[in-house]
Amino acid sequence: MIYLPIAEMPVAVLLILLVSGAVGFVSGLVGVGGGFIMTPALLFLGIPAPVAVATGASQIAATSFSGIMTQQRRKSVDWRMGLLLSIGGVIGGSAGVALFERLLRLGQLDLIVSALYLVLLSSVGFLMVRESYRFWRGRPPKSVSILRRPLKSIAHNLPFRLRFPRSGLYISALPPLGIGFGIGALSAIMGIGGGFILIPAMIYLLRMPTNVVIGTSQFQVLVISSLIVILQSVTTQTVDLVLALLLMAGGVVGAQIGARVGAGIKAEYVRGILGALLVAASVKFLFDLVIPPEEVYLLGGGVG
Amino acid sequence: MKRLITALVFALLVSVPATAQQQPGSDVADDLPAGVAEEQITVSSTYGGSYITVFGVNPDRRGRGDIVVVLRGPTEPATVMRKRRVPGGQFPFGLWVNGDAVRFSEAPAFFAVLSNRPLREIASPESIWRYQLDPAASAQLASAVPAGGDPSAYRAALVRLRREQGLYQWYTRPPQEGVRGGLTAYQGGLFRAVVRLPANAPIAQYHADTYLFRDGRLISRQRIPIMISRVGVERTIHDLATNVSWLYGIVTVLLALLAGWGASVVFRRP
Repeated sequence: MIYLPIAEMPVAVLLILLVSGAVGFVSGLVGVGGGFIMTPALLFLGIPAPVAVATGASQIAATSFSGIMTQQRRKSVDWRMGLLLSIGGVIGGSAGVALFERLLRLGQLDLIVSALYLVLLSSVGFLMVRESYRFWRGRPPKSVSILRRPLKSIAHNLPFRLRFPRSGLYISALPPLGIGFGIGALSAIMGIGGGFILIPAMIYLLRMPTNVVIGTSQFQVLVISSLIVILQSVTTQTVDLVLALLLMAGGVVGAQIGARVGAGIKAEYVRGILGALLVAASVKFLFDLVIPPEEVYLLGGGVG
Repeated sequence: MKRLITALVFALLVSVPATAQQQPGSDVADDLPAGVAEEQITVSSTYGGSYITVFGVNPDRRGRGDIVVVLRGPTEPATVMRKRRVPGGQFPFGLWVNGDAVRFSEAPAFFAVLSNRPLREIASPESIWRYQLDPAASAQLASAVPAGGDPSAYRAALVRLRREQGLYQWYTRPPQEGVRGGLTAYQGGLFRAVVRLPANAPIAQYHADTYLFRDGRLISRQRIPIMISRVGVERTIHDLATNVSWLYGIVTVLLALLAGWGASVVFRRP
């Protein structure tokens, strides 16, 4: 047991290491930040919501950096694309925070966040599982082939075209900025990194090759989560350094093992695993929303 | 232990001067002889909660009346939310979302009441409210309750939820087998109250209040401050997070990068 100075509670060290290791493993395997698993896990362990959100971001920063280092050795990080996504993400994040406050004032925040979670988790998850299943059955992935047919997507026709040598693309800078903006706004409202939306967006909208997608999304996640840690430290002072160190230690080890295992599995299966996770999370989420609660009152921490 | 307490109380009785401070317009004396076993509680990285011991003597020579001990934490704003279903009404399916938040401008973050029998038999309802012997009495509503809501339901929910967290406690019996907390009365009017302070209780200034009630009326009382504070690494981290929050955030990120880099080097394939 160790006492957390900011959360003001003791936690079991081994338990935190195990949980963060498991989240890190998933993160390294499929290239998502893991925030959508980490935050609920910390809440389940009794960590107050503001501390869980703010401190969880530091673990995401650590695992994504660890992932980038591994991916970089395989030359599978498109830095230029990542930078554009990050710039869009930072702007979108600021806009999202403003929208967050406005929705909070209107009293509709909780409903909108719940609905967004449900729709995004289930639809993205379902698409990924379906594609992975088709691949496993040996059928040509029909949906993708339809999408892929016009290889010149809208990204090729817009101005400000840039070369992305790592991705082998020559497309406009506007779509990556726009996608980054959208993910940033969603992250701010939903309190997650957004990797699970970013990866499909990069594959299906930007037509980036699958092998550079994970490293590049991790770069964007690193930038956003680092920013969240610093901003939360200043505004809410809810980043718990002791908890952060425990989460980082478990997370980076898990992420390395996850990345190692992931390298030996076909990308389509990895996407299937991620999709299954998302579907499972959305089912759990739907149950929590639909089943009448035993206790209708709850103590608020000021977090949506 | 008993002898130790007797000695402590004796020392206290000698040291407390007989200046029974009478408040104007009040016949309640502030001279109840009482003390705490530890006025400082330190929180280090191994802290897992603690016990607070309050002892004292019933000043009534014939031992009449009832002793009530209250341990109070700081008062802080609190929010209680009620889940509501969207859409409402008779529609068979709906989503349960958080809504209808009610704010309390202040509510005790910790509250424990100790007595030898149920409080209602000791003090009148007016006294319980007036001297705030119940956490609900200290909770001040700050915002209007939503239409159709009952303010006392929100107040009761606050108390119930905090009680489940171990932050609000009631003891009406002496310590039992397996329960260390409670109020014990000894011969000669000596009493000892033990409160379990859980690890999730906030770190702040607390107050131990002792009351003597007779025939439902408050006769005498005493207030003793107890300081709970961080020491060592806990203190350093908390001070850094509060005073140099920019630096604290940047250092956290740098540590995250270091951890990520370290792991990727350690796990590098030879």
